[in-house]
Amino acid sequence: MRHGLTSVLTAVLLSLAVPPASAQTPALPRTSDGKPNLQGIWQVLNTAAWDIQDHAARLGVPAGQSVVVGNEIPYTPAALAKKRQNLENRATADPETKGYLPGVPRIMYMPYPFQIFQTPEQVVMVFEYDRGVRNIYTKGTPHPRGPLNWWLGDSRGRWEGDTLVVDVVYFTDQTWFDRAGNFHSEDLHLVERFTPAGPDHINYEVTVEDPNVFTRPWVMRMVLYRRKEPNVRVLEYDPGRLIDEASASR
Amino acid sequence: MLLRNSALGLALAVTAAATLAAQAPATPAPVGGCPPEPLAFHKCALEKAKTFSPPRTPSGKPDLQGYWRGRLSQSFSVEGVSGNEPLVGSLVMPWEKAPPMVVDPPDRKIPYQSWAIPIGRIGVNYNEYLDPRTACGSAGVPRLALQDANQILQPAGDGYILWLHEDHHSQRVIAMDERPRLGAEIKVTNGDSRGRWEGNTLVIDVNNFNGYNWFDDSGNFYTDAAHIVERLTMIDRDTIHYEVRVEDPKVYTRPWTLAWAQVREKEQGFELLEEACREGERDRERLLQGGAKYYFGEPWRGR
Repeated sequence: MRHGLTSVLTAVLLSLAVPPASAQTPALPRTSDGKPNLQGIWQVLNTAAWDIQDHAARLGVPAGQSVVVGNEIPYTPAALAKKRQNLENRATADPETKGYLPGVPRIMYMPYPFQIFQTPEQVVMVFEYDRGVRNIYTKGTPHPRGPLNWWLGDSRGRWEGDTLVVDVVYFTDQTWFDRAGNFHSEDLHLVERFTPAGPDHINYEVTVEDPNVFTRPWVMRMVLYRRKEPNVRVLEYDPGRLIDEASASR
Repeated sequence: MLLRNSALGLALAVTAAATLAAQAPATPAPVGGCPPEPLAFHKCALEKAKTFSPPRTPSGKPDLQGYWRGRLSQSFSVEGVSGNEPLVGSLVMPWEKAPPMVVDPPDRKIPYQSWAIPIGRIGVNYNEYLDPRTACGSAGVPRLALQDANQILQPAGDGYILWLHEDHHSQRVIAMDERPRLGAEIKVTNGDSRGRWEGNTLVIDVNNFNGYNWFDDSGNFYTDAAHIVERLTMIDRDTIHYEVRVEDPKVYTRPWTLAWAQVREKEQGFELLEEACREGERDRERLLQGGAKYYFGEPWRGR
């Protein structure tokens, strides 16, 4: 009993000493309309571009820990067989090798920086990889009437407190999640959550839903890091042009 | 018989002329209150810009934001298309007669050094190389702003202006601060863009080109030594005077200038759509099989 009371007291004292998480949010940079200011140059520091799941090192591939919550991707049996086939044939079957737009969420964790811009009606992400552009409309407009097949889908965003929540639909079945053959169909539906964790970090979470390929929705989580180097810029990596230039010089 | 045929021919000609007259507007509509010919528009717009007070952003900068489209512009040739140009009579994708967008020098031609004349102007580039735009690259500066829909955004903080183009999902990030320029070895398709306000005019200074782009379908070109200065000035709420000064000592005898208009796209609910190119493009393979080469600046390299 004495012990229990001490624990309660300790808990009360601790809760007084450590400010609740919400007390930290005023330190976030904000735009004039009071939204978190996510502007700047960001990049992941993980190995999801190679494989979103746990994987050992291979030649040229760093070992990495899963960005998939729980590590397991709930493929249907047929889809799992297809994933294994993709992995085997990745040297030619991976759409990345053709210089195509890599899709969402793959473009978010390619090992290249991207820049976020904000206006009250629009969040724009400009990617070094393949000049990719994501227009995320935050003005309350719905997805356009489909069907549409877009390489980066159609993104509509809204703010839930300090979290930017983005609903993305209208994909193609031609993009993968990574270089390990993880894939989806054109019925892919994503819900992304961008939650600032201080001025230089964004917690990025994406819920993946695709009943043609997965038996249930699943989640990836990772951190976006602000690039802090003075004068850092988003440059240009145009894979299509580089592939063509290499083929022309052969 | 001869007379009858002549009469019939004359009747047909008269009918055709009448049909054309019915279809074409009696006089082309003015653009931003200025005459619809690039040089006349340019002179008029420079005058109008002196008195027009543009809308302002909350931070007090001229507000150029919105969706725009090139007007008084075409992609066939920045030097214009004469009625004698054989491509005007082409059965496949005929060109249209058009005035030059070159407003200086006075002869309205690109002041090429002599070696470069047979390369641009429907020359070596046009005949031997795949148009870099057909190869699905970014159309480059200033070709991006010729026709397709685009959007100018002035994001919070005024540190950047963003110019998005529907064409092949191209974008330009225009840094509005005084940070050091990129190193000379870093060449990029759309160049390194640095912006500043001169009164109500957005001035964009662009360097670091890779020289892989053309001005137009004719293969008119610049090199990796190009220095381009763009000037965007509103002359009324729905019209931007767009002026482009091009300097490239490797290929021209003097700097020269292009001008046309950007007019506001007013369609309700308009948004830029995703325009993937490489992902579905089929012409490229056909043209390469027909002997066209990729254009990576070979005709000017080594100059």
